[in-house]
Amino acid sequence: MHVRSPVAYSLDHALLLIGATGVVLAVGFLALVLPRTSIGWIYVLAVIIFWTFLAAGLLAWHRRPSNGIGVLIVLGGFALYLGILADTGVPLLVVVAEVCATLVLAVTVHLLHAFPSGQLRGTFSRATVISGYVVCTVLQAPHYLFAPHNPAHSLGIVDRPDLLNLGLWVQRGAGFLVVAATVILLISRLLRSDATRRRVLVPLFGYGIFAILFWPVGQVALAGVPGVTPLLVVLLQFLIIGGVPIAFSLGVLRGGFARTNELQELGAWLGTAGSARPALTSAVARTLGDDTARILFWMAEREAYVDASGVPAALPAANSDRAWVTVELDGRLVGAIEYDALLIADRRLAQTAGRVVAIAVDRQRLIVELLTSQRELRDSRSRLVLAAEQERRRIARDLHDGIQVQLVLLALQAGQLAHAAGMTNEFRRDATALREGIDSAAGGLREFVHAVVPSTLVEHGLSAAVEDLVDRMPVPTTLELGIGDESLPHAIESAAYFVLAEGLANTLKHSHATTCAVRLNHTDGWLHIDVHDNGIGGAAFDNGVGLSGLNDRVDALGGTLRLTSSTANGTRLSAELPCG
Amino acid sequence: MRVVIAEDEALLRQGLELMLGQAGFDVEAAVADADELERIVAEKNPDVVITDIRMGPTFTEDGMVAALRIRVNHPDTAVMVLSQYVQRRYVRQLLVPATGGVGYLLKQRITDVDAFCENLRTIAAGGTALDPEVVAVMVDRARLSHDDVAKLTPRQREVLTLMAEGRSNAWIANRLVLSEKAVVRHISNIYEALGLPVDADDHRRVLAVIRYLAG
Repeated sequence: MHVRSPVAYSLDHALLLIGATGVVLAVGFLALVLPRTSIGWIYVLAVIIFWTFLAAGLLAWHRRPSNGIGVLIVLGGFALYLGILADTGVPLLVVVAEVCATLVLAVTVHLLHAFPSGQLRGTFSRATVISGYVVCTVLQAPHYLFAPHNPAHSLGIVDRPDLLNLGLWVQRGAGFLVVAATVILLISRLLRSDATRRRVLVPLFGYGIFAILFWPVGQVALAGVPGVTPLLVVLLQFLIIGGVPIAFSLGVLRGGFARTNELQELGAWLGTAGSARPALTSAVARTLGDDTARILFWMAEREAYVDASGVPAALPAANSDRAWVTVELDGRLVGAIEYDALLIADRRLAQTAGRVVAIAVDRQRLIVELLTSQRELRDSRSRLVLAAEQERRRIARDLHDGIQVQLVLLALQAGQLAHAAGMTNEFRRDATALREGIDSAAGGLREFVHAVVPSTLVEHGLSAAVEDLVDRMPVPTTLELGIGDESLPHAIESAAYFVLAEGLANTLKHSHATTCAVRLNHTDGWLHIDVHDNGIGGAAFDNGVGLSGLNDRVDALGGTLRLTSSTANGTRLSAELPCG
Repeated sequence: MRVVIAEDEALLRQGLELMLGQAGFDVEAAVADADELERIVAEKNPDVVITDIRMGPTFTEDGMVAALRIRVNHPDTAVMVLSQYVQRRYVRQLLVPATGGVGYLLKQRITDVDAFCENLRTIAAGGTALDPEVVAVMVDRARLSHDDVAKLTPRQREVLTLMAEGRSNAWIANRLVLSEKAVVRHISNIYEALGLPVDADDHRRVLAVIRYLAG
């Protein structure tokens, strides 16, 4: 849902006004220039570039009112406009144009430094940008002060080509230093940013630097190339600088820089009802214009922050690219807003957003708390089942390795007694009877161990164990085995095995079924189990400890157990268990 | 007869060694894990190997894996697999390759010394020895899923079961109180009913029956 406040509409009107001013200025410019020139098309092109700046800047401004990039692009457009006024022939305008001839380059440097938040960060960056403006205006002075005397250069005081040349090299040298400082700063920022953002930043920064350098370097480099007229160089300069607004507004619109709502709109969002309301986090993210912004909730009992899904979350380190503000309600800490510090330079914006949504954050916090305790409960049940499974396997192993071995050995000794030399037949009979008695005790123990954890399951896994269960069914039973010999988590294998065993035992005991079908499949991290007979039905969870115990076991592992039983369709026991 | 034993339980290993020694077998080695077993078999080339399924190094089915490899790599060595629990799947696996000289018994069968030694001699001579419990499972299952087996008479099924256990005709005749001729007649009727090719060689005939039942 998109909410807009009256303030936003007011901003739109102001932007329209700026756009209209641009149109008027352009028309006025063409009216003055076109009658005076034979190459009118180059001026039309200049106007188109000017409009490109305005359009791109206004779009970015409209989409992100609290971000300064749009404003800067618009300013760049006006800087360009001032630079082309020289050919109007109007003395005052010519003076302005001479001073502002390369101002657009300084604005481009400013844009590079301010992207993406629109604000300059750090003294070094600020100093570089100011230097850029100085190079483009103050150091531009020799161009108009010492230029060969020419009616167009109305500010000329003396015709000194030597001074002009010197001034030119001073400007180029200083300009180069500004560009070098900018490149260093941008590279250091690129190194610190993540891969997603880099995909936007690398082409943008690269193009910006190229555009700045092309203006002076292109002029010098192309001067000697045969067939390249000064007009062509000017054309290229215009076209390349015209790419700057497009690049930056694309940069603002791409890479997660969505349109921001104003704070008032966040208030309007709070007022809208129930389910029509988008999620809290996305509303705040939209207001801040930062897709990566997220809300953390303060769990007072644990004295820790958790995210919306209840997972413990750490606040970003103080000197990282992420920053955070706390959200408080009636002096009580309820949460925090974490955001991209590169994108949002002014933490007051985040603080104000936090104040507006504090009540909603608190409400959401309670929900998260509930979800968290629910999950903890589930986790603890699952741990209990896992522990029980481990314990069962330990008991089975101990019995198998201990008492069972001893019984076999005892029977072996009894067997040897029966073969000992010089004994009466009666003694041999007794010894044999003893051996058989011990064998039968060992057999009983073996069955018991099998019921605790089948050795097949331990030795060869679920598919072998299920195959064996089905093999031993006294009614015709088909098996569709959609799993291989891969090993699944022990607790899942055991639960699946006992679901099948219970289903089959139920079929045998109560259903009077004449056929039965067993299916096992493993898809998308879930194990699907199904036992279906053609009996008389009548099975229910509450009429057997076995089934309800299994239900608890499956549930604790995060799975589901379903039982449908009817006279017409027999009984079907199916389970889904997570095994990813 | 030269025997190698693999059993991870020390007491049981010594018990087996002692018992087989007293029964006149020549125990060449008694080892505790599957890797050691394969190594010693390659070295000593014994007549018979007796191995547990669950043992080191992984304590799942290492003994079985070793047994299957010995069957392939040392066709002259008969393999007796002992286990706490018997099931059809392992019978099927043990019959690749489809040759005799293989046995599969519940571990507790070793306590009936005479019968166990008899089983060892049978497999050493190229015969088979399957535990009655697993044979019963296979025959019951076949009765439910194969009409051919369902149509056999109870007596024929008894003969089929004993054949699958690896018993000789004489043994079956003695157990069922029949003449050997009657047993042979039953057997040829069973072959006809199950559609199995008649083979003059006893061992191969039994193998065909087991493979039929193991599915």
